Amino acid sequence: MAFLAPLFLAGLLALAVPILVHLTHKERKDVVVFPSLMFLSKIPYQAVRRQRIRHWLLFALRCLALILLALAFARPFLTKPAAAAPVRGLGARELVILLDRSYSMGYGDRWTRALAAARSAITGLGANDRASLVLFDGTATAATEPTADRAILTTALDAAKPGAGVTRYEPAFKLAQRVLADSKLPRREVMLISDFQRIGWDGRDTPALPSGTTVNKVDLSEPKTSNVAVTSVDFRRDYAEDRERVAITARLVNRSSQPKTGQSVTLELNGRAVETKQVNLLANAAATVDFAAAPLPTGTTRGVIRAADDALPRDNSFFFAISRGQALSVLVIDGREGGAPRSLYVERALGIGDQPNFRVTTKRLGSVTSADLVGRSLILLNDSDLPGGETGRRLVEYVQNGGGLLVSLGDRSAPRDRPSYATELLPATTDVIVDRSADRGGTLGYIDRSHPIFELFSAPRSGDFSTPRFFRYRNVTPSPGDEQLARFDDGHIALLERKVGRGRVLVFTSSFDGIWNDLPLQPVFLPVAHQLAKYAAAYADERPWSIVGQVANLPGLFRDSAGPPDAANKAEYVAVAPSGERKRIEGTATRSVELAEQGFYELQRAGSRTEPRIVAVNVDLTESDLTAVEPQLLTGAMVARAGTDSMSSAKEASTPVELERRQGFWWYLLAAVLLLLIGELVLSNQLSRRIAVPR
Amino acid sequence: MTPNAIPGVQFLDPAVLARIGNLELVARTVVEGFLGGLHRSPHLGTSIDFAEHRQYMPGDDIRRIDWRLYGRVDRYYIKEYEADTNTNFNVLLDVSKSMSFGSGAATKLDYARTLAACLAYFSNQQRDRVGLITWDEDVVEIVPPSAKHLPNVLHALARATPTRTGNIERVFRKLNEQFKRRSMLLIISDLYEDPRNIMDAFAQLRGRGNDLMVMHILDTAELEFPYDGATSFEDIETGERIPVIPEYLRDQYRTMIREHIAKIEKLCGDQGIDYGLFDTSMPLDYALFAYLSRRQFLTRVR
Repeated sequence: MAFLAPLFLAGLLALAVPILVHLTHKERKDVVVFPSLMFLSKIPYQAVRRQRIRHWLLFALRCLALILLALAFARPFLTKPAAAAPVRGLGARELVILLDRSYSMGYGDRWTRALAAARSAITGLGANDRASLVLFDGTATAATEPTADRAILTTALDAAKPGAGVTRYEPAFKLAQRVLADSKLPRREVMLISDFQRIGWDGRDTPALPSGTTVNKVDLSEPKTSNVAVTSVDFRRDYAEDRERVAITARLVNRSSQPKTGQSVTLELNGRAVETKQVNLLANAAATVDFAAAPLPTGTTRGVIRAADDALPRDNSFFFAISRGQALSVLVIDGREGGAPRSLYVERALGIGDQPNFRVTTKRLGSVTSADLVGRSLILLNDSDLPGGETGRRLVEYVQNGGGLLVSLGDRSAPRDRPSYATELLPATTDVIVDRSADRGGTLGYIDRSHPIFELFSAPRSGDFSTPRFFRYRNVTPSPGDEQLARFDDGHIALLERKVGRGRVLVFTSSFDGIWNDLPLQPVFLPVAHQLAKYAAAYADERPWSIVGQVANLPGLFRDSAGPPDAANKAEYVAVAPSGERKRIEGTATRSVELAEQGFYELQRAGSRTEPRIVAVNVDLTESDLTAVEPQLLTGAMVARAGTDSMSSAKEASTPVELERRQGFWWYLLAAVLLLLIGELVLSNQLSRRIAVPR
Repeated sequence: MTPNAIPGVQFLDPAVLARIGNLELVARTVVEGFLGGLHRSPHLGTSIDFAEHRQYMPGDDIRRIDWRLYGRVDRYYIKEYEADTNTNFNVLLDVSKSMSFGSGAATKLDYARTLAACLAYFSNQQRDRVGLITWDEDVVEIVPPSAKHLPNVLHALARATPTRTGNIERVFRKLNEQFKRRSMLLIISDLYEDPRNIMDAFAQLRGRGNDLMVMHILDTAELEFPYDGATSFEDIETGERIPVIPEYLRDQYRTMIREHIAKIEKLCGDQGIDYGLFDTSMPLDYALFAYLSRRQFLTRVR
């Protein structure tokens, strides 16, 4: 049975009226005159006796009338049970215990209480009942299949512990939905044991449980929580006398309404506490802690920021892995000897980069050897001819193996002098130089801002490309597969990209020397130069940490050391989790490992004796926000949706007459109220006559 | 057995009697049909009924010497006869405010004054001298006993109005000096006093040789306490009020008033005082009949 207007059930509060009336013995206004009070005054007067309910029958009649009246106004109607709807309260029970194991369950004694609630549910199973234990955080796992064996359930429960994942309710509900749908038992029940974090439910529709399912909730959240979390770490690298140092800044957040004073924060590098600082945190506020710059040792450094323990220790530690050598090595080939060097602007521009650092080496074309190409991230042909001979062949191999080549064309890069391999690296170029000096120079008319080079400038007022004036540029003819990234206002290509093997070639049809254009004098030159260099060198920021739940792509991590291009994809790997669990990744499946634990993963090629790659993994800090959602909202959404489904299907199958019949129940209630009120009238009159005071 | 259950007897409803204004008519109506006398004369006098011989004492009237007896025994004896009149019959009627209470048509005072009128009339029929004293906390009115004072007694009864509180001990101590001659004293009251105080008051009168009859008048409501609903009860004499839930106090009240009545009855019995409880719901003639029958029986026993 359900109600069309359940708000009228609030009328049940009126039950307080007859209770008060019957408890309160209102004294008659007329005083009884009596010959003598010599006996009455000797009897002790007990006020407590005045609070007993008298005339129970009359009281019951009045209460019943009020209850029925409230029910009648709430418009009850009979829901038509689905054909396969289970019968409540009868028969065996299919119980699904959904146990939240997100890391927020490690707050205080939540996990202990959760286990106690689950054990109680298992103990309460009847002889014919079945139960299954589902552990969930970001994903849901059935720890047991539906079983009536309490020992299996208890064993699975004993093995459960809070993980490092975040709360998400939807997977758990889906799994519960599947288990219940497969059940043949007449009663279906879900027990949700959780701290009901708001972040776990986005308010969208939850999976509807089968009709008739009872949802019981065990709310483990506390009204007031206190939690401090380390949310991020920033690095500032500097190089002094060829030594790399890093200054680390940690950010802490206080997620409570009480300020924290003297919160201690420690920086650990390779397991050694380097520095400890105290910080004061305002209520619901963040603060940063700057640690002194420290030299980075060789290899990968394991770093941890640890805040003092509180009720939720998981988010008090922040792991990261950093290593030296993040600078890009750039070789600038500055034309043949004899002429004036033209690489001043580009050297200066790359020299002040810090993310990453550029280590720029400039050589004249004649002095470049094959050895100069080794270990370079980027080679910049700055208005220069291509090297010939062995160096030229090495250059092609370099590019094909993933090296970056940036070419600027000027008056020294005449196409007629190019070696034969040049067509593989560069587009066809005519001897004609487009001269725009007569019309005060051309401008860039088109820029592909969706390309990674120009994506930085896609936002408004982030790079003015209308001011640079291009007086001369070369006309190039793109080949199929070449990508035009920028064009001048007259349609000529300004920037072109060609993929060669695993490497990239970028061709800028004007120069970087300030002669053919005034680009180096414009503010936009510096970021453009950095973007061109980083893209051509295929530079990607090294991630100092990952988040629990992410996946480490092993061939990508070991590409540099894998030798031949396909070797990384075919290699076998070994992953050691922070808990010490060792896992071998082999076979033809995707070579990746899920980062499920907080701490440092050690990844290595099988059989390799080199230092393992270190991947730092942190918990998802959205989980450290312990704000709880109202449990009724969540469970109510599930149940209400199930109820709505059953109602809508019933409506479709019902005739208007049947609908009216099912909703006309209130008439009978009102008739019963009328009869009760008549009975109340008669009874109260009789009682009044009986208690009339004699005169 | 209820009064109305006595076969062949039609009793008079006190409520009906209360509506008759003429007390003499009421008294006559009630007393008519009673056969026995109220009492025997406590005095020996000059009548034709011989009572006893007594030895002559100097000062006796020599005309009363039985000379025939002197001829036989050679000693002087005086012949004595039963007196045929001369008993003083006094009604001591309580007219305190508590007597104005009544749950039915008749108040306790109405009942009491009818009762007093009946007995006065009855007594006067026996040529007794009838008198009346009304009292509350003091003596209110005195009608001296006389064979001709029945109208005065009836008028005084009709005039009696309850106005003040009662104090039986104080009044009876004062009245003790009033009775120079042994009398029959009919005390009509609701006796809302401590039984010991009541008996102290009675003992003063009894010590003078008076014959005491006590009629304890109580209303049915005073005996049964049939009230319901929380209310305040006000003392009719003092005006004091107390909150009462009758249904919770009823049993205790009934126990207390029955103990009170039983105690007075026992103490009266111990002192040789005739005691009768009169419920104002009982028909007056039935109550009188029952009381007088019992009194005659007790007189024969004594």
